[in-house]
Amino acid sequence: MRARAVSLATLASLSVLAVGWQVGAQANASMQALSAPQAAPATIPAPSAGPATPTPAATAPTVSGPATTAGSAATAPTAAASTAAAPAPAAPAPAAPAPAARPTGTFTGSSVRTPYGPVQVSVTIANGTITEVTALQLTNDGGRSVAISAQAAPILRSEVLSAQSAKVSNVSGATYTTRGYLTSVQAALDTAGF
Amino acid sequence: MQPARAAASVGGMDAHTFETMGTVVSLRIGGAAGDGDRAGVPSPEAALDAVRNVFTRWDERFSLYRPDSEISRISRGDIRLTQASAELRDCYAVALDWRDRTDGVFTPHRADGVLDLSGVVKSLAIAEAGEVLRGLSLSEWSVNAGGDLLVNGDQSPGQDWVAGIVDPASRQELLASVPLVAPVRAVATSGSAERGEHIWTSVGGGPSPYRQVSVIGLDIVTVDVLATTIVAGGEAALNRSVETFPIEVLAVLQDGSLVATAGLRSRNG
Repeated sequence: MRARAVSLATLASLSVLAVGWQVGAQANASMQALSAPQAAPATIPAPSAGPATPTPAATAPTVSGPATTAGSAATAPTAAASTAAAPAPAAPAPAAPAPAARPTGTFTGSSVRTPYGPVQVSVTIANGTITEVTALQLTNDGGRSVAISAQAAPILRSEVLSAQSAKVSNVSGATYTTRGYLTSVQAALDTAGF
Repeated sequence: MQPARAAASVGGMDAHTFETMGTVVSLRIGGAAGDGDRAGVPSPEAALDAVRNVFTRWDERFSLYRPDSEISRISRGDIRLTQASAELRDCYAVALDWRDRTDGVFTPHRADGVLDLSGVVKSLAIAEAGEVLRGLSLSEWSVNAGGDLLVNGDQSPGQDWVAGIVDPASRQELLASVPLVAPVRAVATSGSAERGEHIWTSVGGGPSPYRQVSVIGLDIVTVDVLATTIVAGGEAALNRSVETFPIEVLAVLQDGSLVATAGLRSRNG
């Protein structure tokens, strides 16, 4: 049972890696496509920048705010997203002026099927320069998309913050009853005065 | 059952417990807690009484287990919501606000239509207990009510508060230990490990994909509501919550595997 859980978790982790790889590939493709206008800025108008044109599927909003990393200050990008969503400097994308007709705006690639669900990559360009690449997972609940870097991802028990700390003084768990408290770790900590 | 009450002290940290709301509250007071002699610093016993009073007041008004509570009288139709106390209506407003902020996944109404504010009552009581302790000029404390935790200051000088998250498969073991570094001050866990299916899974109607969900964040009401929301709303609610709110989440799926936000990953693998 336990072994099965571990193997499932491992499988899930591999899925995430696979997604990361696919997202990375997709991001690279987008970047290559989008670097073309930089080389020849006059020939390609902004809204139709190669394969990364806004998808007409219209099931999902194509723009995610630049600050969707909803984690606290301590949050780092997940391994899944780090290949694609490399943190870029704050990107006030669409507002930047484009003096030389260089593309500016946020463009979303087409959806790619992955074991983790359909994934799209959104690229923000300011004046012909990519300022941010965001991987979006399209959730199946009404098409709202979320940034993968902000998501909870499958992990192994060995990967979670260590449970071995001797400095735990409080335990969080689903609400215990008065009776349940008596046999809880919290009761032991309370008795010991930790 | 006799009221459980214990007091112990190791390294200047007092731990006190009392029963309320069908569970047990553990209060720790450290740092500036006085012995009653120092002017302006209350004794641990005074702090304990103040905290107990807060929980007792909330329990008397909001417990559906008490036939004489105000919310029980409302659920029976003895009095109308418009005749309810300002405290109850304020609490209802908080719950409705969270219903909107969670796209309706969190709701103050049971499936049978009965008004049930228990989703916010405990965390509002914890938050008020925290305000009371600050009002008593106490700066180093933790309040743990049935597994939902709010801390202030440090556990000991230079040492952040560290919260353990219980393993739902083996409640004597911990899944993780999480340092609560300011401004992160609160942890709440929801699930079916202790009290059975006490969360109504309104979305889709099926059982929750999560056996246990822990949310770590800035304030106790937010983390408690979101833990409930994620259990009830499943993966969609989890994604939406971590996208919208500054929280970390550790969730245990029904098969025992884990999902977690990046901040809960071990730095050294």
